[in-house]
Amino acid sequence: MVILLIVGSIAIGFMVGVLFLGLSRKVKARIHWRYGPPLYQPIIDIVKLFHQESVSHGFLFDFGILLSLGGAIVCLLFIPIGNIIPLQGSGGLLVVLYLMLIAPFGIALSSAEAANPNASIGISRKFILALGYEIPFLLIVLSVMTNYGTTSFVEIVALQRASHWGIISMPLSGIALLLILPAMMGIRPFDQVGAPQEISSGPEVEYGGIYLALSEIQHIYLIFIDIALFVALFMGGSSEPLTFFLKMLPIFLIVILVSTVYPRFRIEQAFSYCIKWPTIIAFLGLLLVIWR
Amino acid sequence: MYRTPGLETTYFTFLNYPLKLKMDWLSWFFGIAIVSINLFAIIFSLSDMKGKKRLDLFYLLMLLVNAGMLGVVFSGDFISFYVYWEIMSWSTFLLISFKEEGWSAGLKYIILSIIGSFSMLVGMLAIYSNLGTFSIGAIMKEMHYLSTGFTFSILVLFSIAFGIKNALMPLHTWLPDSYTDSEATFTVVLSGMLTRMGVFGFVLILYIIVGLTRFQYIGSGWFSHVLTYLAAISIILATFIALLQDDAKKLLAWHSVGQGGYIILGIAYGTTLGVASGIFHTLNHAIYIALLFMVVGAVELRTGSRDLNALGGLRSRMPVIFYTGLIGIAGFIGIPLTNGFVSKWLLYKTLILNHSPFLAFSALIGTWVTILYGFKFLHNIFLGQIPAKYENVERAPFSMRFPVILLSLAIILFGVLPGIPLRVIGWMQKTMGFEVAKINIWGIVTETGTLNTVNIFFAIMLTVFGIYILYRIGFRSKRVAREDTYAAGHPVPRDKYAYTSEFYAPLFRKIKPIFREWVSIFFEKIVKFGRSLSDRIRKIYVGDLGTYVLYIVLFLAFLLILRMGWNLW
Repeated sequence: MVILLIVGSIAIGFMVGVLFLGLSRKVKARIHWRYGPPLYQPIIDIVKLFHQESVSHGFLFDFGILLSLGGAIVCLLFIPIGNIIPLQGSGGLLVVLYLMLIAPFGIALSSAEAANPNASIGISRKFILALGYEIPFLLIVLSVMTNYGTTSFVEIVALQRASHWGIISMPLSGIALLLILPAMMGIRPFDQVGAPQEISSGPEVEYGGIYLALSEIQHIYLIFIDIALFVALFMGGSSEPLTFFLKMLPIFLIVILVSTVYPRFRIEQAFSYCIKWPTIIAFLGLLLVIWR
Repeated sequence: MYRTPGLETTYFTFLNYPLKLKMDWLSWFFGIAIVSINLFAIIFSLSDMKGKKRLDLFYLLMLLVNAGMLGVVFSGDFISFYVYWEIMSWSTFLLISFKEEGWSAGLKYIILSIIGSFSMLVGMLAIYSNLGTFSIGAIMKEMHYLSTGFTFSILVLFSIAFGIKNALMPLHTWLPDSYTDSEATFTVVLSGMLTRMGVFGFVLILYIIVGLTRFQYIGSGWFSHVLTYLAAISIILATFIALLQDDAKKLLAWHSVGQGGYIILGIAYGTTLGVASGIFHTLNHAIYIALLFMVVGAVELRTGSRDLNALGGLRSRMPVIFYTGLIGIAGFIGIPLTNGFVSKWLLYKTLILNHSPFLAFSALIGTWVTILYGFKFLHNIFLGQIPAKYENVERAPFSMRFPVILLSLAIILFGVLPGIPLRVIGWMQKTMGFEVAKINIWGIVTETGTLNTVNIFFAIMLTVFGIYILYRIGFRSKRVAREDTYAAGHPVPRDKYAYTSEFYAPLFRKIKPIFREWVSIFFEKIVKFGRSLSDRIRKIYVGDLGTYVLYIVLFLAFLLILRMGWNLW
């Protein structure tokens, strides 16, 4: 049963993530007045990458990327996708917070194995950006946990279904999470980490073939996890996967629309943005929760 | 003795006063930790201290420190406690100033330490004058006869002593310099258990002598609030200052100040999980910080440098040191499946469920800053490009590799099976009157959520294994040299371009003006003021006899006027 849930969770995460990635290309293309690639283009890319020759710089180069993908998948297993929650009794939201950082840490270890300055600059940017968005994010997660009096994901979802959505009882925290969602997902205007024109894709500069494919899959899962977090914490989750997906869709579209029109921030600007309005709103949200 | 704690024995009678040793779970736990860390440090010293001068003195002092710490932990009365505490403090002072550059750090340490010892002595004598005994067991039973105000002042006096030892802000100023300027071997002992004798002291005074219920009601919980908020400030300031450091040892030292904050936060918070987390984190921190100081020591031995801006790429030259350092950094950050994770999880959990979100936020944000400098530590020493002068660095000697391997195994063991130490802590808490949490070998069960590390362990193992098989099947990668990289048409010449320096430069520009060592700056201002004042006072000594006679005459005149009641006519 658990094995079935694990496989189901991994499969749903992958499929929905791929769909989102394909959709994002399509939407962007339409905004640019182009036709755009087919929805399943990311799968074609990944299959192609698996067939290419790749270059490795050593054991840590391989291990880091595996760790990163493993971390992303294990993190997924804690997220309630509808009624599919393979690891529900093993630590809850606090463990998710920690597991979310294994993926970037793995990528950082792997890409720093090669002596490439672009990779090091990319990692340094990733960690600065992560500190920036974690400050409001931690405030948001704390207000959710304080509001519902539990650290268990399942109970947070159940409590929302018993009364009303989190976005109604904690509007400010929800808005703050929406504001930092693009930064967490690492898409424009927050794509300083892998900025192709400045630092040749940053941490991914040395990846080719299977490494690039694994890094892409890891990215797909992270996009899924970030949006699923919003849905589970603020939109009442769901009792089955389909509704859950339908709730994720509008959030993803909002983020993509924002990302299409804005140019890239500089890393200082991104950090300042994160610790300014989102943090203030998240802080007020926490005060609101305590005050009630 | 081993299975029956709570024993007390008189070992010496001084002026008809019995000096006692006691044994309970708290002493047992700290005793084991002290002995193990010191044993590892001595093994490490075999190559670290090789060929240095005054070794006889060094080892004598190391043994004295060890004896002092064990004495403090096992002493059953305040006289023994004080005597061992002083033996420990003075030999620590001599060890910090063992290297010539450590002289000023040692002086700073001993001045603060003396202040602490005296405030503790006043507290002990105050208790003696009221209860007429020094025996800890007797004081425990009679403490509730004392008034609340008196107990409060005792707590403040002892907290000054233990706060200084544990480097709680604003009493932490001795720590960064002392850690940086002492011998690597001694830094291991100092950071691992010696600094944490303050934690032992806090547990002793708060939960054994004063007692849980009384502690929580003193001043309607204000004492506990002040301690927890001081701890929270320590966490935030110290971790951000650690982020700005470029010296590997100084980075670890500031980290240690921050972790002292976590421990005190847990202990002063006073819930079952909080105190369990505080004591468990003491052990965890000792293990990984000892390991990381050994890593820095090994790197310094081989390269002669611990400057994070100048090193790099040593991974292939010192593989064992690197991989153990990686595990150490994982524990240091608190990644799941390492010991640091479990103790921090307990702390967050109790803070959140008891509605202290701001304290929880300070603890969480401290961890996230730790990730930044943890990776910086790893990257700037071991990853990236290797400077040409370190091309032929030898690997670390066996006596350095052996302790770090054992310590890194301990990190994993207590991370996957945290129930082993938590069970002992549970027994300890039972004697202090806490409700005992349900503890399994794999973690901890509470009504509001469970931690199951073994599940997480198997989940991560299975996924990594699964991906590894996938990767093996479609795996056609060619191994190339680490310097053979893609540089977008602009190849990077060797040694022209040190990209490890100023690793988080954009962030530093933002936070450097905010996070400075304000407390040290304040103390330095006081010192400066005192110096200029004395300079001015010195000017009255002109060396001319006539002037001195004038002073005397003026003083006599002043006394006469005073005698006449300011009534000259």
